Amino acid sequence: MDRLLLLGLNHTTAPLEVRERLAFNAHQRMEALSRFRQQFPNCELVVLSTCNRVELYAAREVHGHPRTEELIQFAAEFHGLPVAHFAPHLYHKANRQVVEHLFHVASSLDSMVLGETQILGQVREAYEAAAQASAAGPLLNPLFQRAIAVGKQVVRDTALNEGRLSIASVAVDYARGIFDHFHDKTVLCVGAGKMATLVLENFVGLKPGCLLVCNRDSAKASAVATRFGGHAVTLDKLADHLIAADIVLTSTGSAHPIVTRQQFDRLRKRRRYRPIFLIDIAVPRDVEPSVGQIDNVYLYNLDDLQQVVSQTQAQRKGAIDAARKIIVQHVESFVAWHRQRELGPAIHQLYNRYHQIAQEELARTLGKLPNVTEAERAHLQDLARRIVNKLLHDPVQAVRHADPEHMPAAQYLHALEKLFQLRERTTDVDSPEDELSDEPRES
Amino acid sequence: MPDVPNAGQLALLVMAISVFAVGGVLSVCRLRWQGHALRIAAKACLYTGILLSVSVLVWHARDRGSWLPLGDNFDALIWLGLLLALFVSYTQRTRPLRGLDWFIMPIVMLLLIAAAVFGRARPHEYVHTTWSWVHRVTAYGGAAAFAVAGAVGAMYLIANHTLRAKRLNPGAGLGSLERLEHITLVSVTLGFALLTIGSVTGLVWVLEGRNTLGPKWYAQPKVLLTFIAWLVYALVLHSPINPRFRGRKTAMLSVLGFALVVGVLIAVQLMPGKR
Repeated sequence: MDRLLLLGLNHTTAPLEVRERLAFNAHQRMEALSRFRQQFPNCELVVLSTCNRVELYAAREVHGHPRTEELIQFAAEFHGLPVAHFAPHLYHKANRQVVEHLFHVASSLDSMVLGETQILGQVREAYEAAAQASAAGPLLNPLFQRAIAVGKQVVRDTALNEGRLSIASVAVDYARGIFDHFHDKTVLCVGAGKMATLVLENFVGLKPGCLLVCNRDSAKASAVATRFGGHAVTLDKLADHLIAADIVLTSTGSAHPIVTRQQFDRLRKRRRYRPIFLIDIAVPRDVEPSVGQIDNVYLYNLDDLQQVVSQTQAQRKGAIDAARKIIVQHVESFVAWHRQRELGPAIHQLYNRYHQIAQEELARTLGKLPNVTEAERAHLQDLARRIVNKLLHDPVQAVRHADPEHMPAAQYLHALEKLFQLRERTTDVDSPEDELSDEPRES
Repeated sequence: MPDVPNAGQLALLVMAISVFAVGGVLSVCRLRWQGHALRIAAKACLYTGILLSVSVLVWHARDRGSWLPLGDNFDALIWLGLLLALFVSYTQRTRPLRGLDWFIMPIVMLLLIAAAVFGRARPHEYVHTTWSWVHRVTAYGGAAAFAVAGAVGAMYLIANHTLRAKRLNPGAGLGSLERLEHITLVSVTLGFALLTIGSVTGLVWVLEGRNTLGPKWYAQPKVLLTFIAWLVYALVLHSPINPRFRGRKTAMLSVLGFALVVGVLIAVQLMPGKR
């Protein structure tokens, strides 16, 4: 019989210095899985370690090991850290709460950036590593497969990951709305500050045909151009660069606009009226707002881009309810499936045992009745079968349909096995209060 | 006498229109819900509609006793709709342009409705000579290309407006302006070539004196509208030489040109006698 346990910390419970000391890289993760399997051979483990969270998902025997303290000890020993160093930041959950938590994590509802999709890949990676190390078994396999499916469904069916949350990616989206391909496009970056570099980094991902960087400080321009594989050009020939450019990113410290309407009007003919995408992230602005009124000129300033980011944030928040609905459905379905899977064999065993007892008793009685015909024998056998079925019907239905919130399947199963002696159990038993509690406990 | 479509053929045509309409609704629903099932259902509707339209054409051709397409106005309008539906299906298979069906499928439905209405109420047979056959194929082929240009031109105008309004999810669904402009120009180039051939063959036919347009054929709405449409498209094709016309102006002219082509199609349906 399995039982789920989760031990972890994340960006809301632990500072970076704690998270980084408890993190597992790919190699450490494989080693941890291997050590865990040696220490607890009948248990399953998946280690999810990202920038924002470290979580250990374990499945163990009912009342078996590892217990929460042992899991904490395992993590501490693996990293050579004193338990006190990270224990105050830990949370741990059991059974249904583990399922809920994992589905929230895979759907990015528990992420620092709501709706980011990277976490889904990280959950998949964690599961695949565990599967490769044979550390994921009959409970964690279906649980993680379902979590990945839930994450995908949330991405597909809700607006949780729609839109962009950074100014740079919004600008790239606008560029994609204007241009179809970028291999024949020229990107011009005017200014070489931190903000310009950040946005430029995103545009370089589009693989433009030519990248020009121009700045008052030519050394700075050269450094940025070298970093992104572009060419440094001089600011005094800005008009020529504007003729060549399709995408212009401006972020200078100039007190006055460096691109004016009058200047741009003169360039249009030489540009052959080609569309141009101007991203002005400078404050004060580098491009006169009236430039944006010209046909085939698409001008966006910092406020325009920031507004889209704010709208995206609002849209994502609005999608949380839809995502939660999907998660609740899957949690219910997984818990029901798990309950059925755990109780099914025990119920089958229970019926077999009692039918066998009834048939034995019937055989004894029939031995004392010499004149029973075949038809009467069949009737009596049927009677015995029906009595057993009717006697077991109510308790079995009660077990099948009991509220899992009130008592998890594992405990019913344990009770069935004990009460009806379905199989001999040899596991050492924890204190009932400790093991029967299905509530999460914060360490 | 032209072969008036029978009740069975009309019923099949109505089914095709309904299936296309359901596909269109599902396609619009995908704006709100991103489900995989919706995508498959919309695609299934498109293919079913195409299949039903082909069935009507085959059945009607069998009744006419001729497998040559464009035998009468019922055939011609269905062919035109079918060409557009096939274009949508081809584009969505090769390099999807999500908004394309919202713009082209309504045109397809209108053409099929026109086939049902005009084909039954004002059925007319086309003249079967080599000149007239070339004229019909090129004229209807050109109309299909102009329909694509008009629809994609409208998409360009909306996408351009969205970008200028600085809305959320820029360009989502309608494709980039550059791609829309490219499709418009390619369609107009193809349509213009076909329309020119169609007009020349039509002119030859008129000069042979075998048409029903009468002595003042040049004043007929069909001829006048065709000539204006030809001029408009010539202006669109002028844009690579005079780039002032590129972008929004090209898109607007393509929409205007298509409106004129629709006028020509209506004029053709309302003309008396054989064409």
